[in-house]
Amino acid sequence: MATTRRRSQAARTGRRPEAVPPAGGHVAEPLDLRAALRQMTLIRLFEQESERQYKRARIGGYCHLAIGQEAATVGAVAAMGPEDLLLSSYRSHGLALAKGVPATTVMAELFGRQDGCAAGRGGSMHLLDPAHNYFGGWGIVAGQLPIAAGMALAGVKEGKELAVLCELGDGAVNMGAWHEALNLAAVWKLPVVFAVFNNGYGMGTSVEQSNAEPEIYKRAAAFRMPGERVDGQDVEATHQATYALLERARTERQPAVLEVMTYRLRGHSVADAGTAYRTKEEVAEWAEKRDPIAMVTEKLIAAGATNEELDEIERDAQREVDEAVAFAEASPMPDPSTLAEFVYGDPDTGRQFSRMGPGSPAGEAAVLAQLEQAA
Amino acid sequence: MPEVVMPRLSDSMEEGTILRWMVSDGDEVTRGQEIVEIETDKATMAYEADADGPLHIVAEEGATLPIGATIATIGEAAPAGGGDGDGASAGAASPAAEPVAAAPASAPAAAAEAPAADRVPAGVGAATNGAGGNGGGERVKASPIARRLARENDLDLRQLTGSGPAGRIVKADVMSALEGRGATAAPEAPAAAPVAPAPAAAAAPAAAEAPATNKGEITYEDLNRTQQVIARRMAESKATVPEFTVSTDVDMEAARELRAQLKAAAAEGQPVPSFNDMVVKASALALREYPRANGSYKDGRFELHSRVNVGVAVAGDDALIVPTVFDADTRSLGDIARTTRELAASVREGTIRPPELSGGTFTVSNLGMFGVTHFTAVINVPQAAILAVGAIEPRAVVRDGELVARHTMTITLTCDHRILYGADAAQFLARIRELLENPLQLAF
Amino acid sequence: MATTETGIETMTYREALRLALREELERDPSVFLMGEEIGVFQGSYKVTAGLYDDFGPERIMETPISEEGFVGAAVGAAMSGQRPVVEIMTINFILVAMDQVVNHAAKVRYMFGGKVGCPLVIRTPNGAGNQLTAQHSQSFEGWFAHVPGLKVVAPATPADARGLLKSAIRDDDPVLVIENLQLYKAKGEVDTSVDGAVEIGRAAIAREGSDLTMVAHTFAVTRCLHVAEKLQADHGISAEVVDLRSLRPLDMETVAASVAKTNRALCVEEGWASYGVTAEVASRISLACFDDLDAPVGRVGMAEVPMPYAKSLEDAALPHEEKILAAALEVCGA
Repeated sequence: MATTRRRSQAARTGRRPEAVPPAGGHVAEPLDLRAALRQMTLIRLFEQESERQYKRARIGGYCHLAIGQEAATVGAVAAMGPEDLLLSSYRSHGLALAKGVPATTVMAELFGRQDGCAAGRGGSMHLLDPAHNYFGGWGIVAGQLPIAAGMALAGVKEGKELAVLCELGDGAVNMGAWHEALNLAAVWKLPVVFAVFNNGYGMGTSVEQSNAEPEIYKRAAAFRMPGERVDGQDVEATHQATYALLERARTERQPAVLEVMTYRLRGHSVADAGTAYRTKEEVAEWAEKRDPIAMVTEKLIAAGATNEELDEIERDAQREVDEAVAFAEASPMPDPSTLAEFVYGDPDTGRQFSRMGPGSPAGEAAVLAQLEQAA
Repeated sequence: MPEVVMPRLSDSMEEGTILRWMVSDGDEVTRGQEIVEIETDKATMAYEADADGPLHIVAEEGATLPIGATIATIGEAAPAGGGDGDGASAGAASPAAEPVAAAPASAPAAAAEAPAADRVPAGVGAATNGAGGNGGGERVKASPIARRLARENDLDLRQLTGSGPAGRIVKADVMSALEGRGATAAPEAPAAAPVAPAPAAAAAPAAAEAPATNKGEITYEDLNRTQQVIARRMAESKATVPEFTVSTDVDMEAARELRAQLKAAAAEGQPVPSFNDMVVKASALALREYPRANGSYKDGRFELHSRVNVGVAVAGDDALIVPTVFDADTRSLGDIARTTRELAASVREGTIRPPELSGGTFTVSNLGMFGVTHFTAVINVPQAAILAVGAIEPRAVVRDGELVARHTMTITLTCDHRILYGADAAQFLARIRELLENPLQLAF
Repeated sequence: MATTETGIETMTYREALRLALREELERDPSVFLMGEEIGVFQGSYKVTAGLYDDFGPERIMETPISEEGFVGAAVGAAMSGQRPVVEIMTINFILVAMDQVVNHAAKVRYMFGGKVGCPLVIRTPNGAGNQLTAQHSQSFEGWFAHVPGLKVVAPATPADARGLLKSAIRDDDPVLVIENLQLYKAKGEVDTSVDGAVEIGRAAIAREGSDLTMVAHTFAVTRCLHVAEKLQADHGISAEVVDLRSLRPLDMETVAASVAKTNRALCVEEGWASYGVTAEVASRISLACFDDLDAPVGRVGMAEVPMPYAKSLEDAALPHEEKILAAALEVCGA
């Protein structure tokens, strides 16, 4: 689905969730909308390209696309401070790109190549780039929540002024880990904001169907934590709401829940058509009336942006995507002789494993040899 | 699906025993990779695969099968039963290209892997189309270490009773059997004095005892593999070869003088040719001139060989072994001396290899060290003749009408009358005598 | 027992653990503890007694009952460069945190292409006895030794407890330290004048012998040592006892050398033998020592039942010395 900025019907008649105004007073600098559009366009084009590549079997495994969630993604990430850390679920390509992870290394990782950001070991669900403070990319639903709390804990221990932004899907809030992580964050006063990207469906099950309390932001009260809700298709609103909560987390060690109302225009993953559990009309409505890129474009046009500028933004983003694909194609597959690389990292590992050889099952000897070499 | 058949690893080999598969069923093997250890009547050999592919084992360890029987297949198809007696298999794929010489009674003494056969050899002597798969007989229950120790010590597991659970033979059973074995009968001979084919003292441990008779108590000893082969081949030789013997006495004075000179001239550590070495060289030179003495009668034809390879009988540990001195006619006495020393050492250490035991065209056997003056050796089938050498001793002889004492040695040639007739034999023997009495001719 | 003094002291296994924790907390400011009741309560098995008073709540962090939560938090802290030492009160409770241990801690470094590590330690006791009943009497260390990316150590003596815990804390990879409820009170000598770190991946010969190799870890080593004495005194069998000390990596060189010497092997563990540590060791022995074996390799574990409460039943279920002795005699063909 191409960007819809040119379509004139941007009427706001689609369902608009109730936004809960932020309790704190922190106000963000206004968002640079051109930059935001550039990022959102990059994400949209990148995801469309990923879908194409997946269907050509260049990308394997699971591939979860964020098409339709660009504003939530860009808005939330734009609110982060320079020391802040980002963790996310597996619907992560957009978040990684928004955080500044180079599209080249992301695409190479999707292709499973050596130059991928996880050296081809992780794939779509396990992107990571410490240099850009992006700490994954996690495949188990809600698995990242306690880890996010732990990273916030470490920040506190080290006396750093940082906050952790932990993105999760609406399907994660019924896992035990949600409860345990939020409880710990509240008890230990950890600077973490749990941003629930509520796109209405946990895989094929609607939020109404699976949540005793479908208004997720309210559940923060169980931990005496502020819970807010924002329109995730509005990049500026998302930016502001996230900023306020991150500021408060960072300065007051106050964790919070932010429910970001959004919608994914594709299925759960590329393998899911997304039609079994929702109506075509619903999808169409969001696509036509609540497309975040269309909405930002409208704003920019209203503020005086020209078609040439907008075209250039799109072309530029497309160039970046094309470069990423070329980079990925050129990067070699990891050599099987490096199979055991990174299983362990302690320098003594080789010596520790050096006596495991006798009686080992077929193939283990090769792995042990690699462990000994790698050390 | 190439079949792996029991190879013919020596020209006397009729059957072999699978000692140990060196790979497992289903393993990928490559051409040239050693896959199985096979025990022959002479030695144990590792045999190589001649194709690439997954190996499917047909014959189990311990199986004794005739040459040509299928022991495994390589390739995708499941093993089929029935190999053809493919005599060419030995020549084609055997790592030892030359057939092992058939000595009258020989097995490598204490060879590294002289194994315990725990199967009764099926169809002895007949090279039949062997059925693939196991031969007859039951598998002996023994622990892995018991098997290994038995194998390494040439102990037949079938002789033992197991004290382990369900009658399993365990290490302790093997160890006590080895202790009860006692010293071997045959003395280890140095290179100069090989032992003639006397019946080998049985080395297997005593099994059951019969009640006492007027001959005293009877103790039964089962033959080990080597002894069985010796017994069989002796009988075969005597039964099939129409033999006759010719002997002569050789005046060894000149030879003794030459030897003394050689001894004085020898450098430190340089082996001095023995009298037996001289006999070997003399025989070799004579064989060049009498090609039928260097040949075989086989399948209604004379087989004449272009090389002169003289086998020298050596006593091993309770066994007779005949290593070959190849091209003895072209070697110097010094070279022959070196070679016979090395071969004897290999026999003593148990490191002699089948190629060194094969290819002989003639055999020399010497019992002189025991003071035996004259004896008749048994032909080493399929050779045409064998020379038995007695002791060198001073004897009273008549020279120019006078009685003098001369060092004399009696040599006796046993011949296969189908290829060597009386006159030829006599002339051949006379030539040997002539060379020994004019020993400087041995230099050529 | 105090901070490092010179000389060899006799101390209990739990004191040795405590000593190691104290020494590491002093040595490295990034080390901190996490666990239930490890602070004011002094630890439910008193391993951490006194540490809270000396190091305070920032370094001795008491947690709510939230294993998945705080193990995950420890993973995150470790990824950020801290060195958390998590106490799971008993190994039975690690089940609720399995996802964080196996899917997260073990995978972090590899899955992310080596870009980040997880220098986490989880200490937890296995074992049974004292009628703790089914849910509190299990020994799952094999489940973790199964997982590439984890290391698992299992000390059986106070000196090894101190030494292996130190090595685990210093190791850059996630390490499980398997303690044992019965061993906490066991006494042994510890040389406090030296650092005493024990390298991961090295087994030890707890008792030398020539007729039988017994392979075990944690409390099973103690049981095997008693059985070895009976084997010698009553049956003239000289048993060698190999204390594995490390389950992943496994020191098979030491085990194989011992079996090559004795030709007979018996593997013993506290947990169920089926699919357990003994299954792994026995299978490797069979491969490595095939031609040296005079008998099939035997195994003894807990009876394959959920641990019952009644004393008579519990005693029957444990891998007690009579059971081990009988198995040893069977392997010896006696």
